[in-house]
Amino acid sequence: MKKFIVLLIAVVTVISGCAKKDQGNLLEDIKKRGTLRIGMSTFVPWAMNDREGKLIGFEIDVAAELAKDMGVKAEFVPTKWSGIIPALLTGKFDLIIGGMGITEERMQKVDFSDPYDYSGMSIVASRKKAPGLNSLDDFNKKGVVIAARLGTTAAEAVKKYFPDAEIKLFEDEAQAIQELLTDRVHAVVASAPLPEFQAIKYSDRFYLPLQDTFTKEPIGFAMRKGEEKAKNYFNAWIKEKHEDGFLKEKKRYWFRSRDWDSRLR
Amino acid sequence: MKSGVKFSFLDLFLFAVISGVAVWAFFRISLVLHYKWDWSGAFTYIARYDETSGSYVSGLLLEGLGMTVRLSIWSSLLASLIGLIAGIMKLSEKMFLKWIAIFYIGIVRNIPSIVFIFIFYFFISSQITLVLNLDEIFTGLEKYDRILSFLFSPSSMLTLFISAVLTLALYEGAYMAEIVRAGIESIEKGQVEAADALGFTWIGKMRYIVLPQAFKRILPPMAGQIISVIKDSAIVSVISVQELTFRGTELMASSYRTYEIWIMITAMYFIVTYGCAVAVRYIEKSMERRGYV
Repeated sequence: MKKFIVLLIAVVTVISGCAKKDQGNLLEDIKKRGTLRIGMSTFVPWAMNDREGKLIGFEIDVAAELAKDMGVKAEFVPTKWSGIIPALLTGKFDLIIGGMGITEERMQKVDFSDPYDYSGMSIVASRKKAPGLNSLDDFNKKGVVIAARLGTTAAEAVKKYFPDAEIKLFEDEAQAIQELLTDRVHAVVASAPLPEFQAIKYSDRFYLPLQDTFTKEPIGFAMRKGEEKAKNYFNAWIKEKHEDGFLKEKKRYWFRSRDWDSRLR
Repeated sequence: MKSGVKFSFLDLFLFAVISGVAVWAFFRISLVLHYKWDWSGAFTYIARYDETSGSYVSGLLLEGLGMTVRLSIWSSLLASLIGLIAGIMKLSEKMFLKWIAIFYIGIVRNIPSIVFIFIFYFFISSQITLVLNLDEIFTGLEKYDRILSFLFSPSSMLTLFISAVLTLALYEGAYMAEIVRAGIESIEKGQVEAADALGFTWIGKMRYIVLPQAFKRILPPMAGQIISVIKDSAIVSVISVQELTFRGTELMASSYRTYEIWIMITAMYFIVTYGCAVAVRYIEKSMERRGYV
C-alpha cells in the first residue's frame, strides 16, 4: 500500500512537472512536424463541406496558401465554435484561421495577427413577424427577439447595438435561421454575406432591413500567447498577400460571386 | 396465434389512430416550420458513386458512423475493464481501494455526462497526452494510416480519438462498475464461505468461484450498457470528435438541410443500436438453450 501511494505521488509530480509546454517556438514545431494544424468551424462561405465532403471556402484557401508558403501540409481540425479557444489553448491545433474577429475579450486569452480581412454584421428579418423595419433603432426595443450564433462577434454586436432587445443564442447559424423561419424570433444577426444569402433563398419570408453591414471588424489568425516569432512571420505573410492581391482575389470569389454554389450540391 | 399474442379490434384501432397522428404531424411540419424539404442528393452524404475511380465511396455521414462504431467498440472494451476493476474494488475489504472506487463511481454518476466530458477532456486528458508526448509519436505513424484508420482513426486525429475513448470509457465504466458489483453481491454467501473453508486465496476465490457465476448474471445488463455506449458516444461531438452527430451538425451548418440530416442520423443510430439489441437477444436465447444461464 505504501509503495502504491509513493508511486501515485511520483506520477502526479511527473505529470505536473511536464505539463508546462515550452512556448515561443511554434514555427519550429510546425516545421519539424511537417504539418500546420488549423482550427476552424463551419461558416458559409468561410469554410464548408462541398458535395464530396471536402472542405472548401475562403478560410480554407487562405490556410492552404499559408501552409504551401511555409512548405508544410495543411491539416484542418473542424471544431465546435463555442469551444474553439479552449481547444487552441490546450494545444489541439496551432492556430485558428476561422474568420475570427479581433476583440478585446478574445485578446485577453489569445494573440491575434494583423487583420487579413474585414467582415461586417448584417441583419435579416422576418416579413411576417417584423414587417417594415428599416433602421437599427427599430430593432432596439423591448419585446424584439434577435437570434445569433453562440460565441461569435455577432452575439456581441447584438448586445451592443440592441441592448433593449432580447437575444437568443444557437450553436450554429442553421438553427438560428430555422428559428426565424418558424417566426419565434424577429431577426437573425450574422456576419455578411450569410443574412443576404438567406434573404435570397427565402425571399417570400425574409427581407433585409438594412442594405449594408452595420459593423466593420478586423479578422485575424488567433494563436496562443507568447508566440512572438510566429506572429511576426504571419504578419509579414499577410502583408505580402495583401500586396500581391491574393486575399482580394479570394475575397471576390467567395463573397462577391456565387460561382462556388454549384460545388455544394 | 401460436405465440399467444392476440390482435383485437382495439389494438387495430389504436394502431390506426397512432399512425394517423404520425402522418398528420409530418404534414404539419412543413406548414408550421415553413421548411423547404430538399432531399435531392442528400444520400450522397451516406455514399456516392465516384466517377473518377469508378467505385462507390462513403460519404461524410457513413464515415461518421464508422467513427461512432470504432469509438463505441474501444470504449466498451476499456469501460468493461474499468467497470470490472472498480466493481471488485468497491467490494474490497481494504479501505483505501474501496474509497477510491466509491469516490470514482460517486463522482461520475452524479454529474451530467456533458460536464464530465468537458472537464476531463480539457483539464485532464490534454495533460496526459502532453506528458506522453503522443502528438509527436503519432506524426511519425503516417505510413500506417490505412491500418490506423481502420482500427482507430487517422494518425492526425489519433490523440483526439484516444482522449475521447478514455473519456467515454471512464464515464461508462462507473455504470458498469455498479453492474459488476451487483452481480458479485448476488452470489450466495454460502459459495464464498465454502471457498474460504476450502482454503482458496482471494484471487482464486474470485477467479474460480465467484466471477464465473457472477458473469452469467452480469452479461444481460452489461449488454444493455454497451448499447448505451453507442448512444452516449454522441456527446463526444462537443469535443469535436468526428463521429456521426458531429459530422451531421457540420453538414447542417454548411447545407442548411437541418431536418433531412437529423432524420438520416436518427435512422443510422437506430439501425446500429437495434441491430445490437437483436444480436444480444439472439445470443442470450442460444445461451439459454445450451444451458449456460
